[in-house]
Amino acid sequence: MAQVKPKSHVSSRALGLLTKNPETILGLIVVVTFVLTAVIVTVSNLLGLQITPYDPLQQNVGVSLAAPSWAHLFGCDFLGRDVFSRVILSIPNDVLVSFCVVGVAVVVGALIGALAGFKGGLLDELLMRFTDVIFSLPVLVIAMVIAVALGPGLIHMTVAMVVIWWPPYARMARGETLRVAHQNFIEAARFAGQKTTSILFKHVLPNISITMLVYATLDVGTIILVYAGLSYLGLSVRPPQPDLGEMISSSQDYLITAPWLPIIPGLIIAIIVIGFSVLGDGMRDVLEAR
Amino acid sequence: MNLAKYIIRRAIFATFVLLSVMTITFVLSHGLGGDPIYSWLGKAAGLHPELAAAYAAKYHLRDPVYVQYYYYLVGLSQGNLGYSPSRNFLPVVQVIGQTLPFTLQIGFFAILMTLIIGILLGVIAARYNHTPIDVAIRAVYMAGYGSPPFFVGLVLLIVLTFQFGLLPSGGAFDPNLVQPSWITGIPMIDSLLEGNFQYFASALVHVILPSTALAICFFGVVTRVLRSSMLEIMHANYIRTARAKGLDEGTIFFKHGLRHALMPIVSLSSLIVTWIITGTIFVENIFSYPGMGRYLVQALNGQDYPGILGTTIVYVLVIVSSTLVADVLYAVVDPQVRLG
Repeated sequence: MAQVKPKSHVSSRALGLLTKNPETILGLIVVVTFVLTAVIVTVSNLLGLQITPYDPLQQNVGVSLAAPSWAHLFGCDFLGRDVFSRVILSIPNDVLVSFCVVGVAVVVGALIGALAGFKGGLLDELLMRFTDVIFSLPVLVIAMVIAVALGPGLIHMTVAMVVIWWPPYARMARGETLRVAHQNFIEAARFAGQKTTSILFKHVLPNISITMLVYATLDVGTIILVYAGLSYLGLSVRPPQPDLGEMISSSQDYLITAPWLPIIPGLIIAIIVIGFSVLGDGMRDVLEAR
Repeated sequence: MNLAKYIIRRAIFATFVLLSVMTITFVLSHGLGGDPIYSWLGKAAGLHPELAAAYAAKYHLRDPVYVQYYYYLVGLSQGNLGYSPSRNFLPVVQVIGQTLPFTLQIGFFAILMTLIIGILLGVIAARYNHTPIDVAIRAVYMAGYGSPPFFVGLVLLIVLTFQFGLLPSGGAFDPNLVQPSWITGIPMIDSLLEGNFQYFASALVHVILPSTALAICFFGVVTRVLRSSMLEIMHANYIRTARAKGLDEGTIFFKHGLRHALMPIVSLSSLIVTWIITGTIFVENIFSYPGMGRYLVQALNGQDYPGILGTTIVYVLVIVSSTLVADVLYAVVDPQVRLG
């Protein structure tokens, strides 16, 4: 039986276990770098500062399709824009979309699942059948249709994905709620006359949050992959704004003359996705070891 | 719960999923996007307002969404999915009939390769677990998992086609060859039935790159699950009994271990099918493969609602029906599932 332990104790021990695995540390480094880059870029954009070596939107035909060099670390695209600067500028898109999608999905899923598990009966049946239907939709195809209907844009992309992203969290939350709901401390709270909502928020949800956090970490990678796909199909930011998926699709005509143009953004996507899944794996191992 | 009851329940659910997808997609694609007549007819719509009005009337474009949905359902009951403006107003059913077989060809080979590579590497990783071989296999499948299918496709194209000239860069067959006639509708099967081996060989060469790209992205799930279920089973008591009986390691590993370790793969199959079918949308566009994914992207770019709707429904139909088959198979192999 899992007991509610003092928080600091659990997290310090978990942190110790996490940092034992070199793979997990690598994942953590990737994730921290990724998030920090996004924060720094966003803040400097708000302040009107340019932190990239070149203006990411500045065209310069003289260096069109230039190969990677010290002057242009990742080379230049067909309009002579510096690819390194464009990669840096597109990182916040991925952070924004993936964190928003996963955040909303966790909240919506947790509420639906916890409510269904805690209340039971007809409400449970209705909510879970609805969840089942949404769960069996092919994510990419449906997100694509929603994205087309809403038109291009980061916020629209986020909405398109959130709509179909929450079901696994609802299922997870329901399962965990059922497991937790019959433990003594919940029964005690119920006998003490606490309201359903306060039991849900004070006792049930905190208990399922760790499992969801691990799953969410693994999920961020998947979201970034699907987002890259939507962006590749031209459904995300409007040109000339850069985005990793869009950079790959727009360089497809230069596979022979400038193969690094699609390869570099693709590698960046892969590194970020692998970072999140390796970190998530490490977190899961720690959770299972508890 | 008995098997028949289980199958009926799953089939009703699948129908329900299909209906809700249709409704959601219809409302989305008609309710929110502006007037599509301009992207359908181009400049002609502005130059000839009477033509635009005639088209709008013919395809019920100016009616409320629920009226349009009614017409769509009536058409659907007669096997008519509307007409596709991005393909010269050909019937959507006809365009899907031409493109779906190619998507199924890629899908079939991609699933086959995913399973072969996934199971092979999973077995090797379990056999040599915690050795450098195991670590190397994990590194390979993590790299594949992290890469979007279109990126893997482009890398294969750059290396195998442009650097080494090994495989064709696009298309589904050599157009100079004699085309197979229509028997089952799937060109590769038809060419085999007719004994047209030249066409079959050409089609096979063209399908290798796109399906390999998908297999590279998705085999990791199989490897990972198989490795851990294999390791778990090799510690089970009946394996110890088999060892005590003096059976040789090979027999134990493959006959007693692998057979049971493959069970979780069956439950994964619906997930793999979903990923691979959606993945075909990308690789078809990279390798100019004339499947449904190319049609869908064309339809998306041309605000071709009947096309978007028709392909979405067929994608979901393919995915839902293969999920249904996988679930039923799983229930047949593992009776415990039916209780749930």
